[in-house]
Amino acid sequence: MTDVGLQHYLDLAERFQAERAAGAPAWLRAFRQEGIAQLARQGFPTSKLEDWKYTNVSPISGQSFSPVRTVHEAGVEAAVARLALPGTGPLLVFVDGWYVRELSRLEGLPAGLTVRSLREALQDGEPLEALVGSRARADASAFTALNAALLEEGAVVRVAPGTVCPEPVQFLFLSRGDTHVALASPRVVVRAGDNSELTLVESYVGAAPGVSFTNAVTEVVLGTGARVTHLKLQAESETAFHIGGLHAELGRDSRFASHIISLGGALARNEVHSVFGAEGGECTLQGLYVGHGTQHLDNWTNLDHAHPRCSSRELYKGVLDDKARGTFHGKVLVRPDAQQTDSRQSNRNLLLSEAAMADARPQLEILADDVKCAHGATVGRLDEQALFYLRSRGISRAEAESLLTHAFAKEVVGAVPLASLRDQVEALLARKLPGAKEGRA
Amino acid sequence: MKPLLSIKGLHVRVAGREVLKGIDLELMPGEVHAIMGPNGSGKSTLSQVLSGRDTYEVTKGEVLFDGKDLLSMQPEERAHAGVFMAFQYPVEIPGVGNLHFLRTALNARRRTEGKEELDAMDFLQLAREKSKLVQLDQAFMQRSVNEGFSGGEKKRNEIFQMAVLEPKLAILDETDSGLDIDALRIVSGGINALRSAERSMLVITHYQRLLEYVVPDKVSVLANGRIVSTGGKELALELEKKGYAWLGQGAGGKEARP
Ligand SMILES: Nc1ncnc2c1ncn2[C@@H]1O[C@H](COP(=O)(O)OP(=O)(O)O)[C@@H](O)[C@H]1O
Ligand SMILES: [Mg+2]
Repeated sequence: MTDVGLQHYLDLAERFQAERAAGAPAWLRAFRQEGIAQLARQGFPTSKLEDWKYTNVSPISGQSFSPVRTVHEAGVEAAVARLALPGTGPLLVFVDGWYVRELSRLEGLPAGLTVRSLREALQDGEPLEALVGSRARADASAFTALNAALLEEGAVVRVAPGTVCPEPVQFLFLSRGDTHVALASPRVVVRAGDNSELTLVESYVGAAPGVSFTNAVTEVVLGTGARVTHLKLQAESETAFHIGGLHAELGRDSRFASHIISLGGALARNEVHSVFGAEGGECTLQGLYVGHGTQHLDNWTNLDHAHPRCSSRELYKGVLDDKARGTFHGKVLVRPDAQQTDSRQSNRNLLLSEAAMADARPQLEILADDVKCAHGATVGRLDEQALFYLRSRGISRAEAESLLTHAFAKEVVGAVPLASLRDQVEALLARKLPGAKEGRA
Repeated sequence: MKPLLSIKGLHVRVAGREVLKGIDLELMPGEVHAIMGPNGSGKSTLSQVLSGRDTYEVTKGEVLFDGKDLLSMQPEERAHAGVFMAFQYPVEIPGVGNLHFLRTALNARRRTEGKEELDAMDFLQLAREKSKLVQLDQAFMQRSVNEGFSGGEKKRNEIFQMAVLEPKLAILDETDSGLDIDALRIVSGGINALRSAERSMLVITHYQRLLEYVVPDKVSVLANGRIVSTGGKELALELEKKGYAWLGQGAGGKEARP
């Protein structure tokens, strides 16, 4: 954490604020200013902080990433066609963090669903102060602060009470990879009204190998009885950096599910901050992280059982090869009056090489007495007996390893409740997991 | 005629202890040879060594299969050459579909034989046909390999795999253990249907019961890592009547390991 690095980001944010001050409403200027102030106060995290124990962010803070304004280019269109999920539902395309209207599809939304680019909504002077930053506060971390300081791009999604959205809303965040310092700071803000239903997909994909930094924040607020499924595919290039914070607040009797598949990035961290804002909520958090080479994949979750009668189910699985490192830090807080909490957390890691590493860190703080809380964490290797069984039937060692590794990942991939995304993930895994190719040679 | 399998002076160590202390055995093509012995006598060790499990260390001896040096081959190469072992304790493999597993196995071998791989449809048809042999319900094929199968279902699944893979040598390690009488009938029916002049079998069992259904050409008794007696099928009956202790000093193994 060189001061030089922090200074770059502070200068950047000050310039950004000054350039956009004219015409910006007071709340927006104050919001960005608070981001700058928090970034200056906290600085980038060091491994001395509990929450950053395993992850060294100096490759990010030590480089001069900056926002890049891109123009719509022909090459990007092909990438969008290849990477967007099939279907006719709403699609928002961002290139290096910059919303590209021409590549997006926002017509024909069902009644009750509004989806807008954040930049356009701000330009139109929409009063967004109650929405933006309601869950992700600038003091959460330096990265949340940086995202706030550079607030401009992203999306606003509103679902009216009782509206059931038949098709998922997809966000495709493309890192072009040809500009070597692109910083994208998208913020997606979602309001799901009472008893509404919505599925969101955020795909972060590198169109070409390159060094970029995505610092994303998503905030989801669920009304009473709402059901929101948030799916995230992090498949940036393996030279890219990615920090993503998903912040959710669950209303009474609402259901929130997050499924995060983390495959790309030299360094990627996915945070989920989930808080029960009323009784009776159900929260599912699932994650799969698959690393090879020298990838560092960090998974950090915080489940705040702040009210009684809520349940949470958490399952994170990691597959790590070569010198890759995966970390899982799962906090669960059961507050004193959150009686009849039912919480289960599981983290399982599969190491495919001697040098691969996994850190599993469940952290439960239970302050109520009438609760059911279970957690478990494992770090292991492929089962030798199962390998032998497969090989004794004529399956090569490499193919047997591949079968068992896919089987391990399948528990999470198979639970992704959207077939088109599941297919995409399976195709990516078929290319990434070891053994498959050798096995067929 | 040359033997299909020829084991000469086989010594095996496991966990620092000598478990097989010089096994000699020949198996002719089409021959069914039963190996009986008390618990702990080394029956599973022999099965596992023949199929290539590397936790067992061969310290002396050789094994020729079809004229080739079996012990220098990888487990998958042995399978491709026609060796099949039905496990005493079949392994559960969550997340790997039974049918997909078996098609992968069959196609791996077909590739080495220069044959075209079977696609999912063709394989399904083959699997349906073969599953009738042991009355294994279609539902089991869609499930994960052995996961949540009862003891009997696991053993039927082993014989089903053998039927699909059509080995030259089948080593059946206590395929009868844990089966009730109905399941035993079904499983032995499957085994008998797979007997042929081109297929030899080592039928390993603790009890004589299985041999009433699968009648062997020869019976050997394994005790304390040695073959102490070899004879015709009558030997099994005699053992049943008199117990392993009858074989005399050193033959009685530890009883009833879990
Ligand atoms: N993997 C192993 N580790 C340690 N000891 C073993 C292992 N496998 C077998 N043994 C020992 O070798 C001996 C023979 O075992 P086994 O071949 O399983 O006998 P059987 O199948 O005839 O009951 C026993 O004393 C057993 O405890
Ligand atoms: Mg045994």
